[in-house]
Amino acid sequence: MTLNLCVLTPNRIVWDSEVKEIILSTNSGQIGVLPNHAPIATAVDIGILRIRLNDQWLTMALMGGFARVGNNEITVLVNDAEKSSDIDPQEAQQTLEIAEAALRKAEGKRQTIEANLALRRARTRVEAINAIS
Amino acid sequence: MSQLKFSSRVSSDQPFYNTNHKFIQHHSTLFQFNVYRPLKLSKFPTINCTLRDLRERIATVKNTRKITEAMKLVSAAKVRRAQEAVVNSRPFSESLIDVLYSINQQAQLEDIDMPLTEIRPVKKVAIVVITGERGLCGGFNNFVLRKAEARIAELENLGIDCTVISVGRKGNSYFKRRPRFSVDRFIEGGGFPTAKDSQVIADDVFSLFVSEEVDKVELMYSKFVSLVKSKPVIQTLLPLSAKGEIRDGNGNSVDASEDEFFRLTSKEGKLSVVRDKLMGKKDVFLPNMEFEQDPVQILDALMPLYMNNQILRALQESLASELAARMNAMSNATDNANDLVKSLSNVYNRERQSKITNEILEIVAGAEALL
Repeated sequence: MTLNLCVLTPNRIVWDSEVKEIILSTNSGQIGVLPNHAPIATAVDIGILRIRLNDQWLTMALMGGFARVGNNEITVLVNDAEKSSDIDPQEAQQTLEIAEAALRKAEGKRQTIEANLALRRARTRVEAINAIS
Repeated sequence: MSQLKFSSRVSSDQPFYNTNHKFIQHHSTLFQFNVYRPLKLSKFPTINCTLRDLRERIATVKNTRKITEAMKLVSAAKVRRAQEAVVNSRPFSESLIDVLYSINQQAQLEDIDMPLTEIRPVKKVAIVVITGERGLCGGFNNFVLRKAEARIAELENLGIDCTVISVGRKGNSYFKRRPRFSVDRFIEGGGFPTAKDSQVIADDVFSLFVSEEVDKVELMYSKFVSLVKSKPVIQTLLPLSAKGEIRDGNGNSVDASEDEFFRLTSKEGKLSVVRDKLMGKKDVFLPNMEFEQDPVQILDALMPLYMNNQILRALQESLASELAARMNAMSNATDNANDLVKSLSNVYNRERQSKITNEILEIVAGAEALL
């Protein structure tokens, strides 16, 4: 029994094939989804998606969105998704540092909101690379 | 008087020593001299100069024609890619609309309080203006920018403040040269729009709206109608609502008169536009779907996705319109270049022939004078 996972971003389909198990980061914590899971709908936080195919775990960085599980079909709609193999470690680290600096410099409600979002995203990308190593 | 560099050797056994200045002038054309021919104005509307200049001009125009033709072919190929990008984004938006619709239904009875649907009295509006990166696309950028100006004037007449978020190099330079428009941010795109690009704009817009700096956000871009026509449109981005008008402090509607909601689809492989309502199909949504979090949080996560999607769609359409406009403009330019080459060649040949005729006449006249 396998799950059919579909990860969609606004401009392309990032993943569309069968997996054994996934672990999703949501607003209320991480949930693991095994075959024959009960149907649920959940918001996906900016975080890491772990996919298991035959004892091998793959990570993907997700930038927030929504997930729907039902009948062994999982549809994840996110703003952006990056496979950890596609992320350059140096560049991700630099982006993280830039985001941190921007947050420290942020003034006013609006800049803080923006800087916070950027920081969370950068952090997720760095975590995605570290999670497999 | 024309200058005369008479440096040939007239052999002494020639029986004439005509010191007639005019004759020497004509005689010298038989030899290779630097003779400065006087400018002749022709009967044709084009001003033509010497034979050499005409030749150079024809060569230049042919070169330009090569460039415009190449640009036309490149744009035509890119339009196809832009079309494919739109098709690729369809699965996402379809699933999204599905989910939104069913969640809306199920959560109908709850009192949902979401920041992005909050309707406040409008005191300040942000307009996201999407233009192109490069020129040579006919009136494309101009249309959008003029419409933006008109809209800003309209809003200012209603006493509403405006700020602009300019996307695209052409719009950026336009607004930079006009300091009377308050611009919030300049964003430059590049190549095909990706989710990351639309995320940047979405973040900006989101933070502006949620921090209550603006009360309404509008999107202005060029809608792709067909390969030869595109139309600048205005679409309300925030606050989100399936339908309904946004009103300002005095209860007057501040929607643009042509605010519309559209969907871009692909019919038989051609880019086509289908006007649609937000209601999607409600078929296979499982009725007993449990929400992991409360509906408020879920909708909270969905709305930014939806906004991101809308902005990306606008960027893609704007790009497709720009490419189509460039294709048309370059095609026109190539046709014009062809016409120009033809008329210049005509004039060149006429000049050449009249020059030869003159020379023959002179020779004959000279020969006759000898007799």
